[in-house]
Amino acid sequence: MTRAPLALAAVAVLFGLTALSAPARAVQPDDELGEDSGLGLLRQAAHAVRVQAYYGTQFVTMWNPEGSSSSLVDVTSVPGVGITVKTMAAGEAVPGTVELVDPATPAGGLAAPHDGMIDVMARNFEVTTAGEGRVCGRPTRIVEVMRPGGAPAARYWIDEASGVILRREILDAGGRLARASAFIDFRLPEQAKPGAYTDGNAFFAVADAPALKAKGWDFPATLPGRLELFSADESENGYLQLGYSDGLSMVSVFVQPGTLDEEGLRGWHPQRRGGHTIWVRDSVGQEMIWASGGHVYTVFTDAPADMVDAAVSALPHEAEPGVLARLGRGAQTVLAWLNPFA
Amino acid sequence: MSHLGERVSAFVDGELSHSERERALAHLTFCAACRAEVDSTRALKSRLRSLDGPAMPTDLTMALLRMAEPGDPLPPRTRPFPDKGASFGGVSIPGPYSFAPLDNRPRRGAGDGLVGPGRSTRNRRRAGYVAVGVASAAVALGTLFVVGGSDPKPVVPPVEMFKQQHNTTVPYGTPGPAAPRP
Repeated sequence: MTRAPLALAAVAVLFGLTALSAPARAVQPDDELGEDSGLGLLRQAAHAVRVQAYYGTQFVTMWNPEGSSSSLVDVTSVPGVGITVKTMAAGEAVPGTVELVDPATPAGGLAAPHDGMIDVMARNFEVTTAGEGRVCGRPTRIVEVMRPGGAPAARYWIDEASGVILRREILDAGGRLARASAFIDFRLPEQAKPGAYTDGNAFFAVADAPALKAKGWDFPATLPGRLELFSADESENGYLQLGYSDGLSMVSVFVQPGTLDEEGLRGWHPQRRGGHTIWVRDSVGQEMIWASGGHVYTVFTDAPADMVDAAVSALPHEAEPGVLARLGRGAQTVLAWLNPFA
Repeated sequence: MSHLGERVSAFVDGELSHSERERALAHLTFCAACRAEVDSTRALKSRLRSLDGPAMPTDLTMALLRMAEPGDPLPPRTRPFPDKGASFGGVSIPGPYSFAPLDNRPRRGAGDGLVGPGRSTRNRRRAGYVAVGVASAAVALGTLFVVGGSDPKPVVPPVEMFKQQHNTTVPYGTPGPAAPRP
């Protein structure tokens, strides 16, 4: 990953791509039931990413409060298996960055979101077709995701021939780019035949939320920025993993019991955000750690910075527990002993 | 051996030991005075044993029998500190059945805050209640403090493990066939 020079190149490439892929016709009203609707195109694209064999080089840029980060990634899709991602530098794969990932994961760039995530997108935004464009010289259909006020939240360029998403842009509430990825080289194998893919059974670990809250875990069902809780899972190691999504991005929150050992954080530095002390580190995505009320929160996300700041502010930021908290724990324990139905 | 003297009575009653009796008999063989005294003592005791016992007076017998019959109701109990007894200048005077000294301790006035010898039983009882309450609360809080366990321990998040889990999470779906590979 290269920082500033690569970022400048990324902006230039993205502007060039934007010029080449300018919409050729006006925005069309969306029809959610039609295959040519914005949502229909996105569902077809998600399926195509899983079943279509392709390979190419992708340029990925993320903007966060500290600046921007860009990287070149070689992507190879193996139908029914996943996509191989190699981070490139000077024409060579960076050691340790080769991964076979699911295209529906953040590591896969959320290139093939599941239907549940697209449904959330449909609830939170207006998804419309926005004309046609070109990426890597290939004709594409453009799908635009609009906020309720009319501001753009995301844009997708979908290859007409293969249905694969060739370019994607995520914007913050101010219309500024937060994450952009685009193929600068995209190829389909000759005589490529779509493979089979069985969509995994949808699971919603949120059903466990009441049981987790009964065990003392406290977490919100929604976060600012239309982020909805889609999974809550307690690990055997005693920490809680929460997943939130607005249909475009994903926020992972890990909650551990304990106080934060700040001296043990290597490579992290404290920042004041929204009146709270947050530990951050330089990375492609946004990574944050803070302590609150006897718990340590760790957040990973590629969502726009303004949305992340609002979400982090909505999560607990309490003082460290004192004597009263300990007495409260004791009272809860004694009541549990006395409760015959516990 | 000297004369028998005070041992005459014991000799007559047969209370001397064997050796003393032998010595007394040896003395009597040659002492006429002691023999005469022994004879007179024997004669006196013989006369006393022959006398009748005294008769019980009839009135004394009747008085003793009346003591066993049921008596009249008990007289009313006299309070040691009569409320409405005789007083002089507002100070009560002990009655005929009183046995406590005059109560001349300072009286507790409304709001005078006097404490000490004049403190009432109610106040002492209230202080006892407060002491018991404070002790009970201390025991309860101590129990909750101990049961509450120790304070949370400092931890360092396993950042790389968390990041890997974030990167491989499939929103709204189960993970696909692809698995993370180093």
